[in-house]
Amino acid sequence: MWRRKKESVLESKEKSSPNGAQSKDEKVTLVAIKNAFGDIDDAVFKDYQTANGLVTIIYLNTLIDSTVLHKTVISPIMNNSDQLIQVLDHVISTDLRTMLMEISDGNTLIYLHEEQRFFKASTFSPPQRSIMTSEIESTVLGPQDSFTESLKTNLSLIKRRIHQPGLKSKDRVIGNETNTKISIMYMEHIVNKENLQRLEQRIKEVDEANLLFIDITILTQLIEDNPFSPFPHMGMTARPDLAAHFLLDGRIVVAMENSQNMLVCPVSFLEMFKSPEDYYSRWTTATLLRLIRLVGFFITIMLTPTYISAVTYHPGIIPFDLVLILEESRSKVPFPPVIEVLLIELIIEVLREAGARLPTKIGQTIGIVGGIVIGTAAVEAGLLSNTLIVLVATSALLSFLLPSFLMSNSSRVIRYIFILAAGLFGLLGQMLALAWLVIHLLNLTSLGTPYLAPFIPRKLSDLYDTVIRFPLKFIQKRKGISRPQQENLETK
Amino acid sequence: MDATKKKVLNGYHVVFLVQNVIIGTGLLSLNHVLSPVGYSQWWFPLLFGVIANITLFPMIWLALKYKDEDLFDINVKLLGKWIGKFINIILIVYALLIFMIVIQNYLSLIQITVLPNRAITFHLLIIMVLTVYIVYGGIKSIARFCIFTFFFAGTLTYSLRWGLMEGNISHLLPLFNFSFSEFMEAFHAGYVSMIGYELLMVYFPYIIHQKKVFKQASLGIWIVIFFYFSVSIVSVMYFSEWQLEHLFYPILQLFQAVKISIIERMDVIGITVWVFLILSTVSAYLWMAKRGIDSVRGKTSKYHLYALAIFCYIILSLPISQAVKKTVFENITYAFYGVVLWPLFLCSIHFLRKEKKEVVK
Repeated sequence: MWRRKKESVLESKEKSSPNGAQSKDEKVTLVAIKNAFGDIDDAVFKDYQTANGLVTIIYLNTLIDSTVLHKTVISPIMNNSDQLIQVLDHVISTDLRTMLMEISDGNTLIYLHEEQRFFKASTFSPPQRSIMTSEIESTVLGPQDSFTESLKTNLSLIKRRIHQPGLKSKDRVIGNETNTKISIMYMEHIVNKENLQRLEQRIKEVDEANLLFIDITILTQLIEDNPFSPFPHMGMTARPDLAAHFLLDGRIVVAMENSQNMLVCPVSFLEMFKSPEDYYSRWTTATLLRLIRLVGFFITIMLTPTYISAVTYHPGIIPFDLVLILEESRSKVPFPPVIEVLLIELIIEVLREAGARLPTKIGQTIGIVGGIVIGTAAVEAGLLSNTLIVLVATSALLSFLLPSFLMSNSSRVIRYIFILAAGLFGLLGQMLALAWLVIHLLNLTSLGTPYLAPFIPRKLSDLYDTVIRFPLKFIQKRKGISRPQQENLETK
Repeated sequence: MDATKKKVLNGYHVVFLVQNVIIGTGLLSLNHVLSPVGYSQWWFPLLFGVIANITLFPMIWLALKYKDEDLFDINVKLLGKWIGKFINIILIVYALLIFMIVIQNYLSLIQITVLPNRAITFHLLIIMVLTVYIVYGGIKSIARFCIFTFFFAGTLTYSLRWGLMEGNISHLLPLFNFSFSEFMEAFHAGYVSMIGYELLMVYFPYIIHQKKVFKQASLGIWIVIFFYFSVSIVSVMYFSEWQLEHLFYPILQLFQAVKISIIERMDVIGITVWVFLILSTVSAYLWMAKRGIDSVRGKTSKYHLYALAIFCYIILSLPISQAVKKTVFENITYAFYGVVLWPLFLCSIHFLRKEKKEVVK
């Protein structure tokens, strides 16, 4: 739909241009291009006198590094224009739209006045940052490089890890306004073809319907299975080692120009608790950490709700001594427990958000303000109970334990559901909320594959690498969720 | 979801569907309703298991004759359009009644123990919404929920340990210390807790390996019997005969026997975890009612599900006197007997029609 609209816009432009009066067969003139690049002040039209007569080169100087331009175009054309013209790609001279797109993509168009032909040279070389360590998914062991915003760099980071022709990367341009390049990567002999087809179909659907492809997270939200779910069910990583790991397991990885993250699909719920470091450290350490993360997830959504139920509805379920401590600490608190919990959870949330938004130097102040001023002062003023602050701080810390940033966010979101449920019906409410969570997770799919793999569908060989990370020699099969063509890692 | 595919249920789905639909509120008062036979009640679950297994035969035999049709379709096929649809409407009412009775029982228990002095309006609404949410995903969603429930609520069995330790093993004897009328009374009241396996006839066409169903369903039934049997043994050992007769929910007392240092009252946790068992039971019955409406009206629509849920919500919210509820609850057993024995009748019709056809030929 949008494409058609855009084409009509282009066509009307062509028709309205005073000099052009372009029809399908007529050749594009330099004037038509100049008109189209009207108010674009970084568009450069330069004439050079060469052995082949007058030559005009056209480019956008914001997308092209001047040294690259000099090396690839200007210097050869001045010295040895014949040879250069033989090397360059010829552009069909009747298609104005393609030419304009080429220039917008950062290529340089070269127009030979004598022959009235256009050539293009790929000179796209915008300024970009260097490869740095990942800040969100940092690890102690293992490679420290992370993706940047350049698609080419990102692809190279993956391809230097998997040297073989089986690694395919299909390029595609999506979004009619942004014309963003994406690259769908997969291992041809491992990936499940049905998954690949499904993903391509979904990308095609959103390509035709949406315009805003600023970051890959937007694409992810558009092609998700269930947009109403609080859980991320498409993986996201900024680490090339993790992306390569997923590729070798038979997943599909999508990279996008201008975004640091890559989309991984399908992924399962339990994979949100895996860190690439699990494979670099010894299996005992990895298992311990994984267990802490997984248990931590359930504690973080259950701890403060249980406090609410215990204090509000069922003081009987916890030991008498503990009840005494709890009641004593909140003897001065004027609010009901739900309000108290919501208040402090929101304060922690605000502190976290403020810390994330502020520059690092001021961010430290936030810690002091939050920790000492609000925490201690609120307790001393009798607004909050100090046992609750311990609980809330624990659950906040546990929620930051998850390697997946998206999952860590959603664990905090669903905690509010549990808090409200506990406030309404106590322990029964918590169980009802848990039932909701279970049903939701059971029915959730990631790219058409059940999210709760390997439990649904069962895949026993996955259990070597699910909650407990067995020594690597036990992990001999690819995961069930990727439904790979070759199941065994070793091909004998 | 896999709602589009017709055959969705694997073997383990069938096992846990059979098992979890049976365990509902029945287990909570099982030992109380069996109290007419006193201490001899502990082997009754085994008897129930055998009888349930026997009554499974005609169901599966009939279902195997009509592999792609559920009970509603078979009724129409064998009894004609009008009588069949009439029977189907009765079956829908039966499913809805059980649906409401189970929820009603559970909520009254909640009102006694966990949330005293609270109107049921609001948590009933939440339970209804959750049930609709489970049923919305189709029978496979229910089956998956059942599997989770088995592993989650199954851990409650561990709390029997304390009752077992404190119990007195000499209570188990003598075995046959009751009269025939006492036996009949206990049997009649106790067999209600086996309600649930008749649903097999409704979800049979969704099963992939239909030949193995008997084995799987039997396994499901005997898992139930294992739970019932262990609870009964522990109850008999732990309680006195007077307690069994007068405690309406003996399981609550068994939970209270639990002594863990960080949990004071296990019964609150046990009863709230029980909501999973309730949800798995009621969602299956709501699904059955929805299938029934689909079949009677001749079209599949999710609005049937919403309409049924709203209808049940209104009925449950109405101020119905305790006496009426009690009458319905006591008589639902007869309906259950009827549904369990119904396949026998259908089988005979099946034979009659077959003979007739042969004569015509």
